[in-house]
Amino acid sequence: MYYVELLLVGLVWGCTYAMMALGLTLVYGLLRILHVAQATVFTLGAYVGLLVANHTGSLAAAFVAAGLAAGALGPLIYRLVYQPILDKPPFVALVASIGVLIAMEDGFRLVFGPYGLSFAKNTWFTTSLRFGGLSLNLVQIWIAIAAVVLLLLFALFATRTRAGVAWRATVSDPAIAESFGVSVSGVRHLSFFIASVLAGVAGVLVGLLNNLVEPGMGSVISYKGLAIIVLGGLGNVPGTLLASVLLGVVESFGTVYLDKVMDRDAIAFMFLIVVLMIRPQGLLGKAH
Amino acid sequence: MLELKGFACGYGLVQVVEELDLTVPSGRITALLGPNGAGKTSTLMAIAGHVEVQGGQVLFEGEDITRLAPAERTRRGIALAPEGRRIFPDLTVAENLLVGGYTQTAVAARETEARVMALFPRLQERYRQRAGTLSGGEQQMLALGRALMARPKLLLVDELSLGLMPAMVELCFRALVELKVQGLAVLLVEQNTHRALAAADRVAVLVSGRKVYEATGEQARRDPEMVDSFLGLKEMA
Ligand SMILES: Nc1ncnc2c1ncn2[C@@H]1O[C@H](COP(=O)(O)OP(=O)(O)O)[C@@H](O)[C@H]1O
Ligand SMILES: [Mg+2]
Repeated sequence: MYYVELLLVGLVWGCTYAMMALGLTLVYGLLRILHVAQATVFTLGAYVGLLVANHTGSLAAAFVAAGLAAGALGPLIYRLVYQPILDKPPFVALVASIGVLIAMEDGFRLVFGPYGLSFAKNTWFTTSLRFGGLSLNLVQIWIAIAAVVLLLLFALFATRTRAGVAWRATVSDPAIAESFGVSVSGVRHLSFFIASVLAGVAGVLVGLLNNLVEPGMGSVISYKGLAIIVLGGLGNVPGTLLASVLLGVVESFGTVYLDKVMDRDAIAFMFLIVVLMIRPQGLLGKAH
Repeated sequence: MLELKGFACGYGLVQVVEELDLTVPSGRITALLGPNGAGKTSTLMAIAGHVEVQGGQVLFEGEDITRLAPAERTRRGIALAPEGRRIFPDLTVAENLLVGGYTQTAVAARETEARVMALFPRLQERYRQRAGTLSGGEQQMLALGRALMARPKLLLVDELSLGLMPAMVELCFRALVELKVQGLAVLLVEQNTHRALAAADRVAVLVSGRKVYEATGEQARRDPEMVDSFLGLKEMA
C-alpha cells in the first residue's frame, strides 16, 4: 500500500509537470524558444488564484480567474518580448526570457511581499479521501482531475478542430501552412494562450498543494519543465507527457530512497542525465 | 492566365533567374525543363510568393501580383505542389486536405474534396492514415490533392515524378492531363523530360537561369534531340 501511495503521489506531481511542460513543448515546437518565462505565468496564476479564493471563498472562481490572467499574460509576453526578436538566434530569446522571469519575480516581491501567502479557510488539504487503505487528499485528487480534463481538452482541440489541425500543420511546415491561408501569427498567439492557461491553473494547484504562494515558486518547476521537454524529445507532445509522469514517479520514490544523497530537485536532473546517456534523442524523440 | 515579364528572382544578392518571359495559359500544361540548378524551383517558388522576385513582373489574370504574400496568391487561385512534396507527415490525409482548403467554406471544401477523391481514389483508401506512412506516389497525390483543395486556376507542380514508381508516375500524369482538360492552367517543372514532353502543350527550357528554348509541345516532340541537347542529356549518353 505504501508503494501504491508513493506511486499515486508521483503521478499527481507528474500531472502538474505535464501541465507546465506541455506549454513549453508547444512553444518550443513552434518557435524553437525555450520559454523559461513560463514560470512567471505559473506564479501569476497562483497569486491571482489565491487572491480570488481568499476574497470570494470560491475555488472555481479562483481557477477561472487564474486561467484568464495567465492566458492574457502569455500572449502578451510573446507579443512584447519574443515577436520583435524572432529573427535573432535562439539564445537571444532565451536571455530575454530569463530577463522577464527575473523582472517579474521581483515585481511579485514588490507587490505581494517576499514571504509568500497562504490560502485562507481552505478545507481542501485537510480533507482526505480514503479508499481501501489508500489516503489521498482532496487537492491531489483535483490536480489529477484538472490535468486529465485539460489535457483531454487539448487533445480534442488538436485533433478535432480546424484551428487545432491548422496549428499542427504550422508546427510541421509554417511556410506551406501559411500559404494555404493559416494565420501563423494567430497560431503563435493561440499556442501561448493555451500554454499559459495550463501553467496558470497548474500554479493554483501547486499553491494549494503546498499551501504557499511565493514570488520564486515558478523557477524550479519551470527549469524542471525544460528538463522534461528534453527528456520527451524536444517538441514531442506524447514524449513530454510521458516524461512528466515518469519524472513525478521517479521523484516520489527518489525522495524516499535517495533522500540521504540528493534532494528532490536534484533527482530531476540526475534522471535527465541518465536518460540522455541512454537515449540522446529523448524518450520518444526520433533518432537522427 | 499567368504571365512573367522580364522576370528575375533569387536569394538576397544572388540572382538565379533573369530576363524570363513566360506565358502559362489555361487548359494547357506548360512544362519548364532544365538541368539541375537551372532555377526551375526558384521560379516556381517565386510565382507562389516564397522566393523574392528581383525584377520584372508577375501578372495573374491581368493583375500584377509581384508583391503579394503567398496566402493572397492562393486566394486568387494559385496553388503549389512543392518540390519534395512537403505534405504534413504527422497529419492524416483528411487533415492535410483540410489545410489545403483552409480558405474555402465548409460546403465548398466538401465538394472539392469529393472531386479530389474521384481523381485519386487512393487517397480515399488512406483517408484516416498518417500522411507520413504513405508511399511516395500516394504522397505526391496528396500534395496535388491538397493544392487542388484551394480551388486553384493555376497549379504549380515541382518534380511530379521524382522518386516515384513508374505506375505512380503514370497515374499522376494522367491526373494532370485530366485537370488541364477541365480548364486548369498547369505549370510543371520536371526532370523526367520524356514523360513531361509527352504530356506538355508548351515547353520552355531553362539553363543557368536563362530561357534557351521555347516551343509548342508538338514542335518539341518532333525535335527531342534539340531539347536533349539543351538539357545536356546528349553529352551524358
Ligand atoms: N535557399 C537558397 N538560397 C540561396 N541559393 C539557393 C537557394 N535555393 C536554391 N539556390 C540556388 O539557386 C539556383 C537554382 O536552384 P533551383 O531553383 O533549385 O534549381 P532547379 O530547381 O532548376 O534544380 C542553384 O544555384 C541553387 O544553388
Ligand atoms: Mg528543383
